[in-house]
Amino acid sequence: MNIAPSDIKSRPVYAPLQPDPAATRHWLVLETGAINRKTVDELIEMFRPVASSLQMWTVGSGNAASTALQVLPDLSALSQALRDRGPFHVSDRFYAQGTEPFLWSVAGEAGQVGFTPAQIRLAHTGSLRRRVWCTHCHGLTENVTTQVVACAGCGRHLLVRDHFSRRHAAFMGVMVDAEVPGERPAIEEVFP
Amino acid sequence: MITSSLKLSVTAIEDIAPSLRHVRLAAADGKPLPPTGTGAHVLLSLPGLDRVHRNAYSLINAPGSRHGYDIIVRRVPVSRGGSAAVHDRLTVGDVLEAQPPGNLFAPVRNAKHHLMIAGGIGITPFLSYLQDMGVRQVGCSLHVCCRESEKEVFNPWLPENANVKFHWDAEGHRLDIAALLARQPVGTHLYVCGPSDLNEAVLQAAKTAGWPENQVHTEHFGGASSTGKAFEVVLQKSGLRVSVGEDESLLEALERAGASPLCLCRGGACGVCVTRLLEGEPEHRDHYLSPEEKASGQSIMPCVSRARSPQLVLDL
Amino acid sequence: MTIAFKPNETFRGDYTYRNSEAAILRFPFPFPEDKYMYSVNMEPHGPAGPSEAFVHGFDVDEHYIAECRDKAITLERDPGRCQALPHMMMAQWDTLELLMDSLSTDYPEHFSVHKDGDGFGARWTWTNRPLNIEQTFVFGDASTLPCEPFEYITRQAQGDFAICDQRDNDLFLDAGMVTSQADWSLDFNVGMSFMEWHGPVPLAHQTGVFERALKYLLMVRLGQPVRRLNWTMTVNPRLDTSPETYPEWGPDRASLTRENIGRKLHLRVELQTLWRLPRSNALLFPIRCYLASLDELVRVPKWGKRLSRVLSTLPKELADYKGLSRYLPLALDYLAAYDDGAPLPVGTTADIDRLAETA
Repeated sequence: MNIAPSDIKSRPVYAPLQPDPAATRHWLVLETGAINRKTVDELIEMFRPVASSLQMWTVGSGNAASTALQVLPDLSALSQALRDRGPFHVSDRFYAQGTEPFLWSVAGEAGQVGFTPAQIRLAHTGSLRRRVWCTHCHGLTENVTTQVVACAGCGRHLLVRDHFSRRHAAFMGVMVDAEVPGERPAIEEVFP
Repeated sequence: MITSSLKLSVTAIEDIAPSLRHVRLAAADGKPLPPTGTGAHVLLSLPGLDRVHRNAYSLINAPGSRHGYDIIVRRVPVSRGGSAAVHDRLTVGDVLEAQPPGNLFAPVRNAKHHLMIAGGIGITPFLSYLQDMGVRQVGCSLHVCCRESEKEVFNPWLPENANVKFHWDAEGHRLDIAALLARQPVGTHLYVCGPSDLNEAVLQAAKTAGWPENQVHTEHFGGASSTGKAFEVVLQKSGLRVSVGEDESLLEALERAGASPLCLCRGGACGVCVTRLLEGEPEHRDHYLSPEEKASGQSIMPCVSRARSPQLVLDL
Repeated sequence: MTIAFKPNETFRGDYTYRNSEAAILRFPFPFPEDKYMYSVNMEPHGPAGPSEAFVHGFDVDEHYIAECRDKAITLERDPGRCQALPHMMMAQWDTLELLMDSLSTDYPEHFSVHKDGDGFGARWTWTNRPLNIEQTFVFGDASTLPCEPFEYITRQAQGDFAICDQRDNDLFLDAGMVTSQADWSLDFNVGMSFMEWHGPVPLAHQTGVFERALKYLLMVRLGQPVRRLNWTMTVNPRLDTSPETYPEWGPDRASLTRENIGRKLHLRVELQTLWRLPRSNALLFPIRCYLASLDELVRVPKWGKRLSRVLSTLPKELADYKGLSRYLPLALDYLAAYDDGAPLPVGTTADIDRLAETA
């Protein structure tokens, strides 16, 4: 399912991944479980012109969609792998594909080893599920598929807004029934 | 709250090389000046032979200077007026009108490293970079391409331990731009300031070497060429009719005729002089208008752009 | 200039905040016409303006001491209300200098700064008489202040402050002191670009208001500050209406009645100014908050009528976005009694020297 453009300008817009021909090295990270075999094959094909300077990983436990992929069990393994391969240069490019929370988590890891936003390309695949940041306790709630969710940190019911923070890699959640406690809209699954 | 102009008196003049003049300016009223910025410039009004020349000069002071403004001016062989005014007629004690400093070439503050390439007089904006504590903290290096005879001239303004390398046109001393630009660490920002051919060469080399566009910055020194075929201009509101000569810009012709449109960088970059065009076909030479705005033909930047048609009508 | 400070006013709990008659008359009423719509309504921030609130670079009024105390309470509860990204230190010093220079020039009997030299490394002595502060420090050395320079000086000024780093033809909200905002989160927004942090504002994006505003802001020049007004409404004279504390003040929106709305519902006006900072080339964005209750506002007949007309023609999306929807009908009902329908002149000035009798 594709992410529809929102009226809210802070909401990131994604585009299919293509290698940057001017770059000297390419680092491609996929989300295990969000990508199927067909998508992997398409990406390998798309990046064939730069295959000799390409490193591909799939991050997350589970069955890798293709044996062509090197598997990293989790984000901290990705973080370590990046540190082992550094230092990076202005001519490196970092690409990621997966669900939105994954994309911004790995973008954060790339940022930690110095990649600037201009060097990072992100494409969305798979579930629309969101990570939500609670404005009141500043805690994060994962795997949110509904427009109202109980905060994993403080329990308040949050309205999941489209306002997105790249730094927090999450959408803003604001208490939905602050004005009249208990007066809440029916919960709907809108980010399946 | 509002300071729209300054009166600066010339307190010192020093010829530091056959074609380089250092000028020091202070507030004519003795009060503290607005602090200078890193990469900032000051727009001076220089009395010329037949009109006033308004030119922008990089401030070479450490950022935050309030007691004086220092500039270095190159004598241009065929001067459009400003350079000749500084080299031939300026004297200590002269009082000049100026605008508070502007800045179109500030360092990118969240860069992890600053790499600077200067061509000749283009070194001047970088002299303030080298004295900026934030820039020094993350690390900076400056490569200067100049005449061999001038490589010591800037020493008084180079901080101790500054990472500066000079290059000149002789075997073993030329700058290998491609080699310099390759494998620069992530987070480095590249700045180039010099004659347009150096700027172009560096921009092209950066592109080829895979630098993201927004990590490469230039300040145009010597500006986009604003000379060309002569044409006529009509100012709709005032009724003035002006002939724009081959070797003056549209802006200069307007100033010569007594109109003084707002302007700043005089290089087609800052957007201050954008003027509504009512009739005529413009020849855009600026870096400011978007492709759509250029195509619409409804705006023009008089500091650098000219006309394809014999006449332009401006909403002035 | 003498200011009759009211140091013990509160902006929470028992809400003892009130405007004196002089404070009502200098209020920066935001509506020049009977209908409200967004515009890039910037003008030069010069000493001439519709009321005394516009005259100085950074306005200090009778609420100064109480407001600084309330700010300190908010910061104690939530230190994340003041943040500055690491690359913003030059801009922090620019801001400290601008505020110290302006306040000491405009209010010499309340503030003074003495410098023993130019530039970084000079010793400065700052005196803030209303808050009983005397501080000697080295300009450029944050270790000689009790906290970083931006936090240090903005704790001693009314209103919120944001510093935008200018790069890549864009502005980035890279530092902020935000304790009296109308419902946006600094912790969520810090680091965002101009378009990103304005994301949630409805309607304006379609008309290109923000594109033009950004282009204009990028060109703001040293020595030429600009200003505009923004507005919303708040129940109770509460400064901390952050999303963080929404669970605390949210219920107030449902607490209005015909009997209490006149004293509880406040027009909240933000006088926003923009200043180019000299060394860093960043943009300082002070957001000065003014509160006046309906009861106070209707004592200026023109304002009571105008407010009634603006609110009754407000587009629904704006009313929703500003959080007014729940009580708007009640507010309109209250204000209707003060509107005789007579035509009003364009402009925001009070047009009277003395207030009408109490509402």
